[in-house]
Order: sequence, then structure tokens, then C-alpha cells
Amino acid sequence: MYRTLPYLALFAATALLQVFLFDNLSISVYLNPLIYVAFIVLLPLDTPPAVLLGAGLFTGVVMDAAMGTAGINTVATLPIAFLRPMFLHLICGRENLREGGIPSPERLGRRNFIDYLLLMILVHHTVFFLLEALSWSHLLHTVIRILLSSLVTMAFVWIIVRIFTAKLPVRI
Amino acid sequence: MRKLIEFIRSIHVVVLFVVLEALAVSYYAHSTCYTEARLLSRSNQVIGGLRGLFTGVRHYFSLGSENRVLLDRVTDLEERLARYEEVVAMSHLDSCLAGVGEAKYRFSVASVVSNSTNRQQNLITLNRGRRDNVEAEMAVLSPDGAMVGYVVDCTERYAVAMSMLNTSFRASGKLADSDYFGSIYWDGLDPHVVILGELSKYAEPHPGDEVVTTGFSQYFPADVLIGWVESAELDPTLTSYTVRVRLAAEISRLTDVILVGNRDMNEIRGLQQSEQIEQHTRL
Repeated sequence: MYRTLPYLALFAATALLQVFLFDNLSISVYLNPLIYVAFIVLLPLDTPPAVLLGAGLFTGVVMDAAMGTAGINTVATLPIAFLRPMFLHLICGRENLREGGIPSPERLGRRNFIDYLLLMILVHHTVFFLLEALSWSHLLHTVIRILLSSLVTMAFVWIIVRIFTAKLPVRI
Repeated sequence: MRKLIEFIRSIHVVVLFVVLEALAVSYYAHSTCYTEARLLSRSNQVIGGLRGLFTGVRHYFSLGSENRVLLDRVTDLEERLARYEEVVAMSHLDSCLAGVGEAKYRFSVASVVSNSTNRQQNLITLNRGRRDNVEAEMAVLSPDGAMVGYVVDCTERYAVAMSMLNTSFRASGKLADSDYFGSIYWDGLDPHVVILGELSKYAEPHPGDEVVTTGFSQYFPADVLIGWVESAELDPTLTSYTVRVRLAAEISRLTDVILVGNRDMNEIRGLQQSEQIEQHTRL
């Protein structure tokens, strides 16, 4: 439970950033970064799957309420919370994960961490933007939105990860 | 039974996920835009204050553009107001001129579009043109009736006047209570002072004396105020005074002007240039 406080701060920071900064950017219809996934990405490696799901549900519901979207965020966040252990097993192997720690370039290796980040964000954004469009008629448009927004989210989540892990030891 | 419980326990995460996801999807599926609006208004009750704070911060950065929009609006309203004022001034002038019949001078008003006082050849652009019966050589007076300049050229909708603050400007002026006259020109130094040159040495100008136009010029009506004597000095030859005249019109602050046209100017000029007169001026 000693990790609760930093994670509460992380959640508050990502939620506030998302609601008050990134939702108001409106640079282009193709750029809609959803940086609150950083919270799910950064949960400790040894988090029980049920807790992960709970965190995903909580994040999704809060973001839905704040952004005024009736459930899209929850629908998109739950799968990544559910699939996260599988992605990690796939990328890093089961033995590596037993030791716990926080997902970071130092802990997983830069290459692995980027793969992990990319998978999480792509799945999340794909679900989110497909549901938001809710039609196949502008598929190309939606795909461009997914890819561009994912890239931007990726960059910002990377920065958040660097900040969040900089003050903590690599392995807690 | 125990095996069933164990089976469920082994897949409880999957079950949890499926249930939660199904709930979320069904909520989304049954939502309408009203749901979203209601959701947003509910959450606004909680984070409304925070949102207001951030909106305030964002608002601060748009102050500049808002200010420009407001200025545009102000100029727009100003222009409309000027139009009404013009109508009022026109009706006022009309009532002044009613009963005089066909006066020698006709008046109209114009607004200053651009103006300068910092050059040697200063010109004033006015928003009246040929369409409004403005023509070259009309006199330009300030709203309180002091001399400003005369129209040099005009297009359909605009006119350009040479202001007194132009080194090419020439007019004739005299002291108010005497008939000695001289020529008015600007030396290009002080935008508040013009020179009344070649004033007879018998004129005896004193500081504070009024300087007005003569009726000789066809541009300006007689006795239009030009300014007040500031200082006078006798030429080295002791034949004439050079008088510095403080202008009555504040040209740098000019916004509206009165235009004065001489209806008889063409007639007089035509007469002066007629062949019979020319025979007498030819040597």
C-alpha cells in the first residue's frame, strides 16, 4: 500500500491533463490524444488482474463523466486493463514479471517497453475511435485518426513515464 | 459443485471483464445525446469550479483578439454615430441657411480618414468625394470654424485636402480689426504655428490679436479665424512684419471638418479670364 499515494497523484495528474489540456487543444480533428491511458500503463507489474480491471473501470467511468461521453472511455479502457498481463507475458516473458516493479524503459528494456506502450495505446485508441465513429463509411478517416492520435499519445505518455519513474527507484 | 466454483475462480477475471464490458457497451448503446449532456452537466457540478478556473486562464490569453473585435465594433458604432451626427449637423446647417436663399457659400461636412502633421507636405484625406458634391478648391474648416486647408483633389468617394501644415500652402490673412493683409504660409517647423508674412509695417500686430482670412481669396470666405498673433518681428529691411500665428484649429486632433464651397468661384474665375479682361491685362 506504500505505492498508493504516487498512483493517486498520477491518476489525478493524467485526468486533469486530459480534461483541461488535451480535450481543449482542438488542433485538428485527427489529433485527439487520450493520455489518461498512462495510468493503466504505469500500474505495477505484479498488480492482480482483478485490481487492474477495477482500475480500468474507475479510470473509464471518471473520464466518461468528465468528458461527457456515455461509456466510450470505459469500453475502451477495460480491454487494455484486461489484456495488459497478456501483452506483458508476450513481450517480456513470465519469469521476468514475477519480480514486480513499475513498467518503464529501464525495467523492461527500451525496445520491449516501446512495444508494450504501442500495443496498449493502439488497442485503446482503435476501440475508442471506432466506437466514436460508429460506422465503417469513413474507415480511412478513422484509421488516420487512430494512427495520428496514437503517435501523439505515445509521445506524451513517454514523457509522463519519464517523469513518474524518475523519482522512484527502478525496482520497488 | 466444488469443481464449478474452482473453475469460475480460475476464470473470474475473464468473467469480470466480460460483465463490465457488456455493461459499459450496453450503457453506451442506450445512450443518446441527451445522456451525454446530462452526464456532462452532472460532472460539471463537481468539477465546474475547476473548469471555470481553467476557462478563466484560457480567457486571459484570448484577451488580445477579443480586444481587437471590440475595437472593430467600437469603430463600427463610431461610424454609425458619426453618420447621425452628420445628419444633425446637416439639418443644423440647413436651418442656418434656410431663408438666406441661394447663398454664395455652400457647406457640407466630412470626416477625416487620414491625417498627418509630422511631414513637410501634410495632407488630409476626407470621406466625401465628387458623389457628395465635393470638388477641388473647397475650403476645409475645423468644426468650430477655424481654417484648416482646402481640397486639392477628389475622387468619387474621397477627397484629399492640403492642410495648412504644408509648405506649399498659401492663403492671405489679415489682422482682425485692420485691413492690412499678408500671406499665410507654414515654415515646416511647429505644427501649431504658421507664419503671416509681408504684413505692412503700419499694421502694428500685438500678441493675442486675431488673424482672419481676407475675402480676396476665392477659396475661403472672409473673416474665417486662422489663429492669434504669438509674436511679431520687423524684417531687417524694416518694411514689413513677419508674424508668428498660433493656429486656432488643432490639426493633429481633427476628426470632422466643414467643407465650404464658393458657388460663384467659377463665375468669377471665368470673368477674370474672359477675353475682354485679357485684352486689358495684355501689354
